[in-house]
Amino acid sequence: MGGFFSSIFSSLFGTREMRILILGLDGAGKTTILYRLQVGEVVTTIPTIGFNVETVTYKNLKFQVWDLGGQTSIRPYWRCYYSNTDAVIYVVDSCDRDRIGISKSELVAMLEEEELRKAILVVFANKQDMEQAMTPSEMANSLGLPALKDRKWQIFKTSATKGTGLDEAMEWQVSCFQFSVHLCVFMAVDTHMS
Amino acid sequence: MYTLLSGLYKYMFQKDEYCILILGLDNAGKTTFLEQSKTRFNKNYKGMSLSKITTTVGLNIGTVDVGKARLMFWDLGGQEELQSLWDKYYAECHGVIYVIDSTDEERLVESKQAFGVPAGDMLEALCGVPVLVLANKQDVETCLSIPDIKTAFSDCTCKIGRRDCLTQACSALTGKGVREGIEWMVKCVVRNVHRPPRQRDIT
Repeated sequence: MGGFFSSIFSSLFGTREMRILILGLDGAGKTTILYRLQVGEVVTTIPTIGFNVETVTYKNLKFQVWDLGGQTSIRPYWRCYYSNTDAVIYVVDSCDRDRIGISKSELVAMLEEEELRKAILVVFANKQDMEQAMTPSEMANSLGLPALKDRKWQIFKTSATKGTGLDEAMEWQVSCFQFSVHLCVFMAVDTHMS
Repeated sequence: MYTLLSGLYKYMFQKDEYCILILGLDNAGKTTFLEQSKTRFNKNYKGMSLSKITTTVGLNIGTVDVGKARLMFWDLGGQEELQSLWDKYYAECHGVIYVIDSTDEERLVESKQAFGVPAGDMLEALCGVPVLVLANKQDVETCLSIPDIKTAFSDCTCKIGRRDCLTQACSALTGKGVREGIEWMVKCVVRNVHRPPRQRDIT
């Protein structure tokens, strides 16, 4: 009984951590985004070999955010982190038109994984402060997003160095998750009743 | 005997799934309509609060069970730039819901032009697909009435051709007209023999 109440309590007051993966090619700006979210500042980064993990609190919700290295040789290891993921933030360099094809194939391969079946997809069209940045619809087409028919996805125009777009993206994720938290409470109550 | 058993299996564990596309200009109320229908038709579903809905730049998904049919909604972003993505969904959809903001007289022309995007494909990619036009935000007193909207959209009617088409007044915020619209849509997609449903296991 005590466990039941504590589970309701914890899901109501947002202590359940949402697990988010930040993925994308190397040089897309994943680490800069992670630290922009956590400390709100631009930090100097070096290419990530391995991962960075931080807890980000936003609107009373805790996010456990994993930033995995994006270089070709270490991309195969992404899949070790897929289980229990609530959302995938896929960061794309909006100016890197040459490698958008690689970005697409990595994304497609990732979304085929069974463990990510329920995760929502958030695409960050990063580096929007640059002049020749791709627009969201260009990005959606080049990443083949219209082919995704049973997954919720959304694109945000971001600039990690300027800090634009990140708040909207987090806000949106909070609104998606708050609803799933309610759903958890419901299910907890239901199983108890029956 | 096999047919009997497989029929029973289908009856017990499978549903006919129909895909419904929700289109319309930005700020017409497409996502609100989707959330409202999920709340109305799914027991125990507590949706995201309608006031928190922001602009969609992507795709929202929702499933609603009505009787033996399962509707799967694709709610797409409506900004001008994103309208180029709409046609990617035509081939697989079974029905189209077009949402109009009845309070926004200034953008009615723009909405009519945007309606031309799917209407231009009505004869080919969307052949025979039922179309539900929702005159949304009817809870606002100064809104346009159904006849006003029908008049404004009158030159689109020739493009619609032979298909089921209904203009329904609704308010996604209060839920008025939502149930009627969806029930009409279910009736039409079920009887449309040109686009058979997908079989989906109930999980």
